[in-house]
Amino acid sequence: MSGPRILIVDDEPVVIKSAERVLKSEGYDVEGAAGGREAILKLEKGGYDLVFTDLKMPEVDGLTLIKWIRKSSTVIGIVIITGYPSQDTIKDALELGIIDYVPKPFTPSVLLDVTARAVEWTQGRKPREEKAHEEFPPAMAAELDRVIEHYRKIPGSLIPVLQRAQEIVGYLPPVVQKRISKGLNIPEAEIHGVVSFYSFFTMKPRGDHNIRVCLGTACYVKGIEGVVSKIRDTLKIDIGETTEDRKFSLEGVRCLGACGLAPVMVIDQETFGAMSPRKALEIISRYDSTVVAAAAAEPGADLAEKES
Amino acid sequence: MGKFRANLMLCAGTGCVASESPKVSAALSEEIKKRGLEEELKIVLTGCNGYCAEGPVMAVYPDEIFYQKVTVEDVPLLVEEHFIKGRPYQKLMFKEPEKKTAIPLMKDIPFFKHQVLRVLRNKGLIDPEKIEEYIARDGYQAAAKALTQMTPEEIVKVVKDSGVRGRGGAGFPTGMKWEFASKVKSDIKFMLCNGDEGDPGAFMDRSVMEADPHSVIEGMIIGARAIGAHHGFIYVRAEYPLAVKRLQLAIDQATEAGLLGKNILDTGFDFELKIYLGAGAFVCGEETALMRSIEGKRGMPRPRPPFPAVKGLWDKPSVLNNVETLAQIAPIILNGAEWYRSLGTEKSAGTKVFALTGAINNVGLVEVPMGIPLRTIIYDIGGGPKKGRKFKAVQLGGPSGGCIPESLLDIPVTYEDIVATGAIVGSGGMVVMDDNTCMVGTAKFFLEFTADESCGKCVPCRVGTKILLDILTDITEGKGQESDIETLQDLARDILASSLCGLGQTAPNPILTTIKYFRDEYESHILHKWCKAGVCRKLTTFWIDEKLCKACGACLRACPSKAIVGEKKVPHKIIQELCVQCRTCYDTCKFHSIKILPAKFEGDPHEFLEAAAAGEKKGEA
Repeated sequence: MSGPRILIVDDEPVVIKSAERVLKSEGYDVEGAAGGREAILKLEKGGYDLVFTDLKMPEVDGLTLIKWIRKSSTVIGIVIITGYPSQDTIKDALELGIIDYVPKPFTPSVLLDVTARAVEWTQGRKPREEKAHEEFPPAMAAELDRVIEHYRKIPGSLIPVLQRAQEIVGYLPPVVQKRISKGLNIPEAEIHGVVSFYSFFTMKPRGDHNIRVCLGTACYVKGIEGVVSKIRDTLKIDIGETTEDRKFSLEGVRCLGACGLAPVMVIDQETFGAMSPRKALEIISRYDSTVVAAAAAEPGADLAEKES
Repeated sequence: MGKFRANLMLCAGTGCVASESPKVSAALSEEIKKRGLEEELKIVLTGCNGYCAEGPVMAVYPDEIFYQKVTVEDVPLLVEEHFIKGRPYQKLMFKEPEKKTAIPLMKDIPFFKHQVLRVLRNKGLIDPEKIEEYIARDGYQAAAKALTQMTPEEIVKVVKDSGVRGRGGAGFPTGMKWEFASKVKSDIKFMLCNGDEGDPGAFMDRSVMEADPHSVIEGMIIGARAIGAHHGFIYVRAEYPLAVKRLQLAIDQATEAGLLGKNILDTGFDFELKIYLGAGAFVCGEETALMRSIEGKRGMPRPRPPFPAVKGLWDKPSVLNNVETLAQIAPIILNGAEWYRSLGTEKSAGTKVFALTGAINNVGLVEVPMGIPLRTIIYDIGGGPKKGRKFKAVQLGGPSGGCIPESLLDIPVTYEDIVATGAIVGSGGMVVMDDNTCMVGTAKFFLEFTADESCGKCVPCRVGTKILLDILTDITEGKGQESDIETLQDLARDILASSLCGLGQTAPNPILTTIKYFRDEYESHILHKWCKAGVCRKLTTFWIDEKLCKACGACLRACPSKAIVGEKKVPHKIIQELCVQCRTCYDTCKFHSIKILPAKFEGDPHEFLEAAAAGEKKGEA
């Protein structure tokens, strides 16, 4: 098969028909499915690169379909077609990793535009390469633009915009800063100045799981150093770094304000108290079982544990 | 609390949530349902109780029985014993160390007994997510009084007369701040709250925002009225997600109830309040830096004057108060200045919340009248250092503060007395250190912090803290020079004198106080290459005293680098060439048979330690 294979999912046959006509004329390999159920059956057989789906459909709706696709594949690109692009549904879909959306009704040129970009994005994505981190998907860009638009007129909104941007993209690479600079009309240098000043902002992509260790006084006195060096040795990353497979990143925080539980470690949103090197590894291994081996390789650590 | 037989006040603060209080809550409600007690027992999820180390904690009212470390497994028996058979469940009660007797009532537990709750008046008593519960405990009455019966001048006067001082660190009189701002004429003014609790080791502001968010909002409404501000921001750390959530909920509820927004309580007074998320910079605790940060810029301080009361946020008159300060305003307005002054001392009135943490038995938040001796806090409330350990110092005021030794523990806790020691009250972080803590290492820890957090504006702070840190690092790695101590002191004084803001002006405090009170540790690091606490790896040799070793094999099994040899009934030995000074054996040995010697020690350890001990005694005498 030559060109990318696209599946159009919509409960209105006219949408499928017109999309097929437009895309086929440009040499894309296009098929249609009249609903989520039919789409799943087709996708099950494999071979698709890109799925365009409506959100509101009877029986199996768009979000359910997207969730199903994400469970089975990370390389199929997803674009949503929707007549009602509300903040919430787009946000839900974004979290599931869609590339872009096409508003309904659409003109041929809009459809071709989005398709071209989506194809480029999917191709860049397999295999997972550095390139994917230099650009960010158009849907994220659209969401970011909405945030910028919302804050444009509010004075002093750079920090909230950066916080939202980091939430959307995961980190703040130069492309994101550039876009914000244009949108808010603030010089890039000033934006970089703010990003580098506050410890909350990061210009490096974080891992799937972000481990934060508290470096506060109470945790220091209770021996967080040992926990940090154990994690460092096991995951082979220093504070501020991400593992090669992008599973974990390690971050040091000033004080989490949970000194009663010192030493404290937070993974993603969950707080773990009274850490010891061994306990910390045990918990990390819950997120990735390959860490267990390393944790078990510590002879007699349980004895030291009992004493404390 | 009317129709229920008992209220189960389960803590849902950050600490207890981490110790799985949500699971306990689910188990409790299931058990209550199973037993058909839904009509009689009510579970209330409260904010932070303060006794975080023993979490999840739960208090049962009206009987005031206090349970700690409640687990899901305990729930069925607890419900059966306490609520069906009517005998409180002893297993989960507080027990005094060394004794077996359980103490059922919260007010009898030493940790709570000495406390006087003003700031934390609602902790563990209300559901922070319900405005009705705050109102039921006199909430918003002070705001109503301030708005309907008092003039701004009267509000300022009461606050000024009360003598309340800023609890964020500097201790500036709050009433004076308000007075300055109220006298400035301007179209726009701002009332701001500092919830950017940056001091490592302090968490009272988080606790107040989580447990009693309305008390902060009420304080802000009163302050806004006093200075004539119609806009406000609460600047909160992004690291405190629960606090942010509860504050936002509280603002929404207060707005709906007509206590925020336009025409509050029909008085014609408007006050709009918003949350501003901080992005993590310690220096933003400084008021001018915080205001720059709200403007969306790098949070760097600027010289004062002009003071923020004249030119603050967006160059408009602004007042910035700390969370704990604001939480005390409502009771002051309701009960009067005299009531507030009834506790504390002449210059340090009222109560202060301390975050008692570190190497101590009872860890948590404690609110005490100012002026009580440090020793009461550490020994009576905190229960002193852990068994077998010796108290060494208490660190007050975070990176801006200092370490206070045992000999000064009888001083009263007031702003002036603490400053006289070289430390500061600061935001109230109180970290206890025992003989396992190296004081040079501690100074280095704080300098790492300040060197990293220095905003870079002033050269003495930016470069100076880095040089201080380099010298300290050298000392802890055995490369110290005899002249280092003087160099540290000289440089510290220069930085102190020539920095613009509080960060640089206080950053050398940890060094100055540790040199002042623990000079011998610096000297032993530099001259004898000996870290007596066994923390600085390069200055430590672990050695097993064969006279004390019981040959139990514990250290042998625990050693990760297999550096310990020995067998049953034969005292163990550490092969120094294999030892990496990880300290595991030292922490494992129950018989204290492992001793700490200088780096690469040669000679007779017994003689050396005896001589050192004799020298120490002589020094004390």
